Amino acid sequence: MLALINQIVDKCLAAIQEASSTQQLADIRVRFLGKSGEYTSILRGMKDVPPAEKPQMGKHINEGRERIEQALAAKESECKAAELAARLEAESIDVTLTKDLPFGSTHPVTLVLDQIIDIFVGLGFRAVEGREIESDYYNFQLMNIPLDHPARDMQDTFYVTENTLLRTHTSPMQAHTMQEEKPPIRIVVPGKVYRADDDATHSPVFHQIEGLVVDKGISLAHLKGTLDAAARALFSAETKTRFRPSYFPFTEPSVEVDCSCPLCGGKGCRLCKGTGWIEILGAGVVNPQVLINCGIDPNEYSGIAFGMGIERIAMIKYGVPDIRSLYENDVRFLKQYC
Amino acid sequence: MKVPYSWLKDFVNLDGITPEYLADKLVKAGFEVEEIIPLNDSYRNIVVGRICSIQPHPNATKLLICDIDVGTDHRQIVTGAHNIKEGDYVPVCLHGARLPDGKEIFSGELRGVRSDGMLCGGSELGLDDSDYPGAGFDGIFILDDRCPAGTDINVYIDTLDTILDVSVTANRPDTNSILGIAREVAAVLDRPLQMPVRADWQEQGAIEELITVHIDDTELCPRYMLKGLTNLKIQPSPDVIRRRLRKVGIRPINNVVDATNYVLTEIGQPMHAFDYAKIGGQTIVVRRANEGEHLVTLDGKDSALTSDNLVICDANAPMGLAGIMGGLDSGVHADTQTILLESARFKRDNIRRSSKALGIRSDSSARFEKGIDFLSQELAIERCCSLLVEQGCADVIGGVVDCFDGEIKNTVLSVPVAKINSILGISIPGDQMVSLLNRLELKTTVEEETLLVEIPAFREDIVGANDLAEEIIRLYGYDGLVSTPLDGMNQTHGGRTLHATWRSRIKAVLSGACGYSEMISYSFISPRYWDVMRLPADDLRRNTINLLNPLGEELSVMRTTLFPSMMRIASGNLSKGNKSFSLYEVGKIYLPHAELPSEEVEMLMMSCAGAEKDFYSLKAALDLVAARLHLSFRYTASAHPFLHPGRQANVMLGDICLGYIGEVHPTCAAECKINDRIQVAEINLEILIENARAFVPYVPVPKYPAIMRDLAFVVERKITGDEILAQCRASAGALLAECHIFDVYEGAGIPDGHKSVAISLSFRDLQRTLSDAEVNPAIDKIIAEMQTTLGGVLR
Repeated sequence: MLALINQIVDKCLAAIQEASSTQQLADIRVRFLGKSGEYTSILRGMKDVPPAEKPQMGKHINEGRERIEQALAAKESECKAAELAARLEAESIDVTLTKDLPFGSTHPVTLVLDQIIDIFVGLGFRAVEGREIESDYYNFQLMNIPLDHPARDMQDTFYVTENTLLRTHTSPMQAHTMQEEKPPIRIVVPGKVYRADDDATHSPVFHQIEGLVVDKGISLAHLKGTLDAAARALFSAETKTRFRPSYFPFTEPSVEVDCSCPLCGGKGCRLCKGTGWIEILGAGVVNPQVLINCGIDPNEYSGIAFGMGIERIAMIKYGVPDIRSLYENDVRFLKQYC
Repeated sequence: MKVPYSWLKDFVNLDGITPEYLADKLVKAGFEVEEIIPLNDSYRNIVVGRICSIQPHPNATKLLICDIDVGTDHRQIVTGAHNIKEGDYVPVCLHGARLPDGKEIFSGELRGVRSDGMLCGGSELGLDDSDYPGAGFDGIFILDDRCPAGTDINVYIDTLDTILDVSVTANRPDTNSILGIAREVAAVLDRPLQMPVRADWQEQGAIEELITVHIDDTELCPRYMLKGLTNLKIQPSPDVIRRRLRKVGIRPINNVVDATNYVLTEIGQPMHAFDYAKIGGQTIVVRRANEGEHLVTLDGKDSALTSDNLVICDANAPMGLAGIMGGLDSGVHADTQTILLESARFKRDNIRRSSKALGIRSDSSARFEKGIDFLSQELAIERCCSLLVEQGCADVIGGVVDCFDGEIKNTVLSVPVAKINSILGISIPGDQMVSLLNRLELKTTVEEETLLVEIPAFREDIVGANDLAEEIIRLYGYDGLVSTPLDGMNQTHGGRTLHATWRSRIKAVLSGACGYSEMISYSFISPRYWDVMRLPADDLRRNTINLLNPLGEELSVMRTTLFPSMMRIASGNLSKGNKSFSLYEVGKIYLPHAELPSEEVEMLMMSCAGAEKDFYSLKAALDLVAARLHLSFRYTASAHPFLHPGRQANVMLGDICLGYIGEVHPTCAAECKINDRIQVAEINLEILIENARAFVPYVPVPKYPAIMRDLAFVVERKITGDEILAQCRASAGALLAECHIFDVYEGAGIPDGHKSVAISLSFRDLQRTLSDAEVNPAIDKIIAEMQTTLGGVLR
């Protein structure tokens, strides 16, 4: 009987050795260790074993079973690893193929506006919006541009009636705010504005963001400080600003503000036409007449204001050469901005 | 404003100052220099040559071979012109020469004979007879012998000069002249300004005996001066005057006209010369025109005038439009003996309005529109007389007519030094302010830390402390400003409006999860879209705000719906081959309003087209927007004429109609040049945002599993999904947690006019696990009632 045990164990171990899949191993398990398996059948011979030998024989049987189990387990884990490797190998895919998920985009003007609003909100400014169809009174007269003022020539205006127009700048909201609120005032006004002009650098519809600060002791130096901070946030930490004297009826002194060229950092390049500077906005100390017009005492309060064209900033930031592409809305263009 | 460097030198010593350096200084002082134009750049490698011999060309009868002395050596040049003779001085383009029109000349062969350049005519040098006699002749320009052979042509035609193109801001009309710019140049360089020198002359006679002047409207004409000149010899101006006028873009005419143009450029005062012989009744009246009065101006235009136009009349009729243009017959002629030089100040606004209304513009009106001070009239008369007297072509009549009620008085501003420093946020000592202001001819002293500034009449722009602060800082330099943050002030809390915050969130959903691209379009559209949209005549959208001065019919009315803008952009994309797109725009519509200028309402417009993009794709995106706001839309039957009658709906929020959704009607689409199926939706963003919810009350997450059941019913085609689901909910009772349609099938196995709708139902109790036995009665009820209410048969 002992010989039989060894013989079956050897036979089983040989079969295990030869097996190459977990399925074969499972078959082997059934064949030898199943209810009527070859090895299990040995137990039937136990009844013929003399009682004195039974314990010893039982031990042999168990040892044999143990050896089979161990061999099965070892081979099984070997086969599993091989089968997994084979499956993974078979499942390899071409990763360069794609599946389309829709992706949207945000208009570059919105991207720039949001960025600028964020900067000024961080500086304690409130972002407010105003109407686009305005009265001459708010758009011009309160802004110190009386009828027939030569400065009206600076802005080609779309009129709706003799006294109603499409706002030429976001400045009317300065007047609305000053009339409705007491200083301290810190606002930015983003929005659409209109001028009868249409070429590669001018669009009849464009966006501006206006800023206004009115408080006690506000000076031109605060304008410099505010715009320095904004320019650094908008372009880079190294960005500098430069003031050049200019003229706007609603500010005095008035300045054009340049920032160091974001492309070349001031060394001179195609974008800045070799000057190292890019004009980004107009600004100044609020003309005391504007404060008076809007019901604020210029002896007590002073203010600073600034206004910039968003399309221009977007064109600089993203290298867009023609303003018209911002309004053609070709989806291939739009999809570049997300 | 074009400023020749050479002209500027009449008034300021520019020794050691390059045009580039000066331009930089001017920019820093507030005068943008648009361009620095070296005139000699236009004439490269062109010299004066002397013709030594002329030989016939062996192979061409029309050509001549010239031997030309060009100073250093001789050149053989072939020419086709025959107005030359030996000994003539001519302009010679050498090898590599460049002409003003950009043309370059190289050595070559003409009919087998070598030609080392080209002889050129006056027109090729950009000259005509008004520059130099003979320059306009169609042939070679024969020069005089004032320059030897080999001289750079720039010396001969006086183009060794630089033009600064200076842009002058609207507040500084005083600098619209060479003298005005010179005053700024003197200030930025801190060098003295030399005023023009008055010539000496003997006066004869008295102007009062020649003319009586009456100013009818002193508001429109606050100052009117006349000076007489007689024994005139009308002739061309001297070279220097003609050349200078040319450099600033004015065509020389004759000595009198040139002198007035010269003064306009140099002093900034427009003048007009009346031929005395043509002034009827020895009288000049400055008055408003009579309604319907006619005047033919110098440009030949016959205008019907109104009382808004100011005219200069003799005893009989208007002779000219004040400050704008003289009458056809009033001007100077070759045989004019005596002239009256007009030098006046007319009201800026009136000139501007008249010029605009009549459509007549001139250098004079352009200048008056910008504003003239009270000092220029006298200065201009003196300067003009000096120019003509120096030429020896006129005698000056004694006396001057000066109709001026006012008095030229310098105002004095008194401003504390501390006030200036507080405006600027800087500390400039009073003494330094004084010296800066004095450089600008603003006579300033400082007493007890207060500036006393005398403002000359030519600086009408300076009225207060802020103006002085600007004058000081622009000379002091903006680099002196210390960047100062806004702190230590009353702190304000920043932020966006709630509306803007929600708008950003909605855009984030659309640009993100929905996969839509944001577009921005013009606010004005073509009114032709109302017919394209097939809107009935009384549709409110046809009631638009219209531009009085649109850029064109296509952009002439303010939109009352974003649909036309979207169609335009969609069509543009499709025509460029972008067959698949998902676009949205957040923009305003503009509705006429009785009291306000308008009512402006923010709308959301969406559109998609392309393979696999149907009504339901757009609806899904719209529903996602609603979900972001914790809302849900209902879709109800609609009949918008521009949408497919069977594929459209109103978008409802509760009982409020927010807008529409649908497939564009194929006829409407075709008229927008769109042949593809295209889906659109437009909703009122303001009402949507007013109803937005930041969050919903807490709902516990279910602990117990749901029981899922699927049912399919065959119903008539016209029965909607909403009706079927509503019926399910009504029948099922409280245990039904969710139900939705997962399939709709029409075709084989389903009777005509019917469809099979498959519904997934999930039943749940929050307190315990349900058993099938509890759900079965609900299912039975759904099946039974679907049959009785909607005629639905379980499939």
